[in-house]
Amino acid sequence: MSPEETKLLEITRRHFFEKCAVGVGAIALNQLLAADGHAAVKINPAFPMEPRAPHYAPKAKRVIYLFMAGGPSQIDLFDHKPELNKLSGQKPPASLMSGKRFAFLKGNETLLGSPRKFGTYGKCGMTLSELLPNHQKIVDDVCWIRGMTTDVFNHGPAKLFMNTGFQAPGRPSMGSWVTYGLGSAAKDLPGFVVLQSGPRGPRAGAQLWSSGFLPTSFQGVPLRGKGDPILNLRSPQGMTRERERKFYDAVAGLNKARLETTGDPEILTRLNSYETAYQMQTSAPDLMDLSGESAETLELYGCDPAAPSYARNCLLARRLIERGVRFVQLYHTNWDSHGGNGENLNSDFEALCREVDRASAALVLDLKQRGLLDDTLVIWGGEFGRTPMGEVRATLGRDHHVDAFTMWMAGGGTKPGIYGETDELGFGVVNGKVHVHDLHATIMHLLGFDHERLNFRFQGLDMRLTGVFGKLVKGIIT
Amino acid sequence: MPKLILTISVLSAFSAVAAEKLPDRIRFNDHVRPILSNQCFACHGPDDKHRDADLHLDTHKGATADLGGYAAVVPGKPDASEMIKRIITDDPDEIMPPPKSKKPKLPARDIAILKKWIEQGAEYEGHWAFLPLQKAAVPKGAENPIDAFVLKRLAEEGIKPSPEADAATLCRRIYLDLTGLLPTPEEIDEFVKQPDVAKLADRLLASPHYGERWGRHWLDQARYADSDGYAPDGFRAVWPYRDWVIRAINDDMPFDRFTIDQLAGDLLPNPTKPQLVATGFHRNTLINTEGGSDPEQFRVEAVMDRVSTTGSVWLGLTVGCAQCHTHKFDPISHREYYQMFAFFNHGEDRNSKGATVPVAVGEMFGKGAVAGVDGAITAGELERLRDDWEAAEIKRQEAAGPKANQKLLEALKQLDAARSGPQRKIANDAFEKAEPRAKKKKIGNSDPEAKIVEQMIMRDLPRPRETYLFLRGDFTRPDKDGGLLKPGVIAAVNAVIPGAQTEFKNRLDLAKWLVNPANPLTPRVTMNRVWMRYFGKGLVETEDDFGTQGVAPTHPELLDWLAGEFIRSGWSMKAMHRMIVTSKTYRQSSNARPDLAERDPQNYLLARQERLRVESEIVRDAALSASGLLNREIGGPSVRPPQPDGVYAFTQNAKSWKTSEGPARFRRGMYATFYRSAAYPLHTTFDAPNFQNTCTRRIRSNTPLQSLTLANDPAFLEMAQSLGARMHAEGKDLDSRLARGFRLCLGRTPSAKELAVLRDYTQSQLADFAKDEAAAKALAGSALDKLPPAEAAAMFCAARVLLNTDNFITRE
Repeated sequence: MSPEETKLLEITRRHFFEKCAVGVGAIALNQLLAADGHAAVKINPAFPMEPRAPHYAPKAKRVIYLFMAGGPSQIDLFDHKPELNKLSGQKPPASLMSGKRFAFLKGNETLLGSPRKFGTYGKCGMTLSELLPNHQKIVDDVCWIRGMTTDVFNHGPAKLFMNTGFQAPGRPSMGSWVTYGLGSAAKDLPGFVVLQSGPRGPRAGAQLWSSGFLPTSFQGVPLRGKGDPILNLRSPQGMTRERERKFYDAVAGLNKARLETTGDPEILTRLNSYETAYQMQTSAPDLMDLSGESAETLELYGCDPAAPSYARNCLLARRLIERGVRFVQLYHTNWDSHGGNGENLNSDFEALCREVDRASAALVLDLKQRGLLDDTLVIWGGEFGRTPMGEVRATLGRDHHVDAFTMWMAGGGTKPGIYGETDELGFGVVNGKVHVHDLHATIMHLLGFDHERLNFRFQGLDMRLTGVFGKLVKGIIT
Repeated sequence: MPKLILTISVLSAFSAVAAEKLPDRIRFNDHVRPILSNQCFACHGPDDKHRDADLHLDTHKGATADLGGYAAVVPGKPDASEMIKRIITDDPDEIMPPPKSKKPKLPARDIAILKKWIEQGAEYEGHWAFLPLQKAAVPKGAENPIDAFVLKRLAEEGIKPSPEADAATLCRRIYLDLTGLLPTPEEIDEFVKQPDVAKLADRLLASPHYGERWGRHWLDQARYADSDGYAPDGFRAVWPYRDWVIRAINDDMPFDRFTIDQLAGDLLPNPTKPQLVATGFHRNTLINTEGGSDPEQFRVEAVMDRVSTTGSVWLGLTVGCAQCHTHKFDPISHREYYQMFAFFNHGEDRNSKGATVPVAVGEMFGKGAVAGVDGAITAGELERLRDDWEAAEIKRQEAAGPKANQKLLEALKQLDAARSGPQRKIANDAFEKAEPRAKKKKIGNSDPEAKIVEQMIMRDLPRPRETYLFLRGDFTRPDKDGGLLKPGVIAAVNAVIPGAQTEFKNRLDLAKWLVNPANPLTPRVTMNRVWMRYFGKGLVETEDDFGTQGVAPTHPELLDWLAGEFIRSGWSMKAMHRMIVTSKTYRQSSNARPDLAERDPQNYLLARQERLRVESEIVRDAALSASGLLNREIGGPSVRPPQPDGVYAFTQNAKSWKTSEGPARFRRGMYATFYRSAAYPLHTTFDAPNFQNTCTRRIRSNTPLQSLTLANDPAFLEMAQSLGARMHAEGKDLDSRLARGFRLCLGRTPSAKELAVLRDYTQSQLADFAKDEAAAKALAGSALDKLPPAEAAAMFCAARVLLNTDNFITRE
């Protein structure tokens, strides 16, 4: 960098950090408005992903969020209900049904016990169904949250709610908030990466990893399982790496000439963006190349390196955080077990559990053996759970249930053990209720943020992930 | 310098100014209100439900009220004022703001301002934005009134404006600002020879592309998109509304009529079809077709969006904040929100069902209907005909007495869903006999290429829905005890309108109220946004918040003069554009001012122009115009330019993206089909909004994904090939070809240094590709296939570099 450029960059940074005053529109404005002590995050516009310190020392430095899209049945996996099994086939008690809204239930449904065998495992005594044998290996590494509740019973809005704290689209997702707050240590990869497996994409699509009103630098970047991992990553056919170096140098040459004429520091950002783009062209394929992974590791995850799968995505998640990526989110479809074709609670559910059980557990074990689990937060769960009643469709199924479901978290300062309890039939939470907003507040806390102070001014309000809600759940953190 | 910073009230919070001298006269709006609004109003402000200690600091009466022997504010006596005691104490039980608010102790300067204000009598002022437009005399000394205001201010600060940009840069700037397209080198030459800005502005304002450029800005606010949103995000054909906007702007439709037609065209006497289509503005709300969705919930969501969009677009107020509770900072009560809600709650549309009107391609531009439209019928229209016919037929049959067709009557009296198979047949046969068009091909709303579509429009129910306040904004909790609410407007704004009406019936009343010349917000907000497009930010930087949490205008007199002039011009946008573009303020160079790097780095004082990265659509349009591929066709169904594979790998439903062929491939960026859940990638990458809500201002980010797009996106590679071919054809040797490329892309001749960079690169590639013919052929593509492969590839490479420069995507 020439002395003039260095000077310009210095001016940019100085204005930003001392006067909060130079840079791209919304960022600058937000800085300006945050001058009142409700300090929003100070972003260096030349390097929006520059790592930043949170409010206080964090337990977790990065997040891997395994999103089970569709809503897995907690009753058939985690929350063993012998009483429900006894009453299977009977009408649900009216007292439990009054005032409740469901997506598809018509009122003629009966209670449905779980056909699955359960065992009790580990020091914590967690009940796990036969469909999750590998979870037995991590039973005492995991914080089992049995008392999750949410507000929304349709998939799209419920997924948005779980990701953004709001049921309508347009708000930033958790990954965007986290990278807005922390930046990312990944130099040549996006700070917030999304992976996907299963028969189709999750409902609500890119809205789930949208940066909402935050700058788009913080939006999730999908890495694709087939073809180029990032859109437009590949140079046109006929270009070699050497030729591309010359191309990027020529672009930089012209940009530097213009910088000298105009003195606009935004051109420095452009220079930086182009250089990163060039680096990403090798770093992204390197990431996807699993040839360096040992046979034991591949076996642990159950991963075929050649085929896109949930298992491969779990392994990629580990590789991403090893490269400094801040927030990795995996979506796996389709857990929407209503009982129709392709989504029954019999063979379809079993196949799904096989896809997910081994690799989810492997990720926790692998992180642990590499010493990464302590400061990596792993989250596993869907947008809601499923009803204790069966649904009357072609085969066995359950409807969406918002009042009680199970999620689990591991590492990153979470406290292993069981937290929360549901009633005998699994309708509601009797103690240890964790609302989605509370989960968000707790996740932000583990990352070193007071969720009430990680703000962004939008449409006149200091917006945050938890809105005006959210309480820290002390019982699930160390 | 102190003056500069203090008159920009938001800057007063900066530590740098803490030590500066206090102004002689403390003014409530400039100095005191920002402090109270940020620090106190959340608990001691307009919201009755969340007022602590029953203390109102937002009014003089409240602040000076007797609290039992003492008062928060005692005019003239800071030491006797409880407010001052509370903000300076160290006692954690006493201090304000309290520790639980997580606000730090007030800075010394703020305390000093509050003290001095009380000392000087603690006078309150109404919020600036709610006061009538002020009529300031235009300062003398400049031909253009804009310059008069700006230069006066600069002179006060002892700052000189920047010189005028060179003619070529200015020409490119005006083309991009008014049409979003690049000028040809010949057009630039003509302007450089005779740099008559007024003449150029008039010519471009008369160009049909002006309506596209400024129509697109409006479509952001209208949250226009080609899909329903939410999870399934199905296709919807709403381009007739888009075409209406382009036409209205090209016709310079006065902004008051532009407003009324969109908000209430359907309620005008004998509305024309364009007036009905205009109401598509508020049908751009989302629709949720997911199984199990409660249509009432999503109807209410849409109505709420209409309230907040109307508030943001015309009033610049965050009305949506009052959905769950009375606004914390601005005088908008919880109840008033639902009175605004009532205007839109009368609409008959309910999630996926609602009124439509059939529109043919070109119809909004005054072309006659295309062949076939007369005989054709839309599904929605047919449904309406059927409903009318059934109601009438029942009456007819009943009136026929014994001669009635009893079977038909029975069938019709059944609800459609409850009819048996034979009953259905009887009813259908009778209807088809009465309405032969029922047998014709029906027009749906899901074919992306259909030439006749059903445009969604607004229509009110014959009997209005009842409106109640929703407790905490929850539609399942109507506050029936609070009573029925009638439509109404925000009282604090209405108060400044002389002889204002107090009874409001419907959207037409609302629309007329918004453009009442005495309503100070609409013209201020509108002109501020126009200004923002030209200078990167508004005179009020918080263009979406003219409330007390927003910032005050940097040039209040100029803003009010522009707003007043807008009304005086007959709400003519073109008149205002002409005035801005011809001003010296606008014509300044955008180069950085090292002399102002410390004093005014944000350019609040307008001592220079701004370099602005163009919007996503214009990134594409610029490349299309430089390469000569641009298809100038205006309006009609949205198209599908090439996009990289795999865009839909992450959506619930894979969209069918049949890439447009032929000239449609090269339509402007604004015509690329926009799916809300998976937008055209170029648009997302370059910060187009997602159109879930109104977007009044776009962000300008600068990311590696943008670099990858310009370098590798197949659409841009195709344009680089054509640009390379054009450069080759329009020059005679390498240098002249490269120089031509600079002129086509950047509108100027290169400096010696720039030309050398590009020449060295191109020559190195020429040599390289001479040894690798296969690679050269692959890169050059068909546009360049007349040239020897190495030369073709080198021209492509040079063109690709030019399209990737910062200058190319920046309006300087």
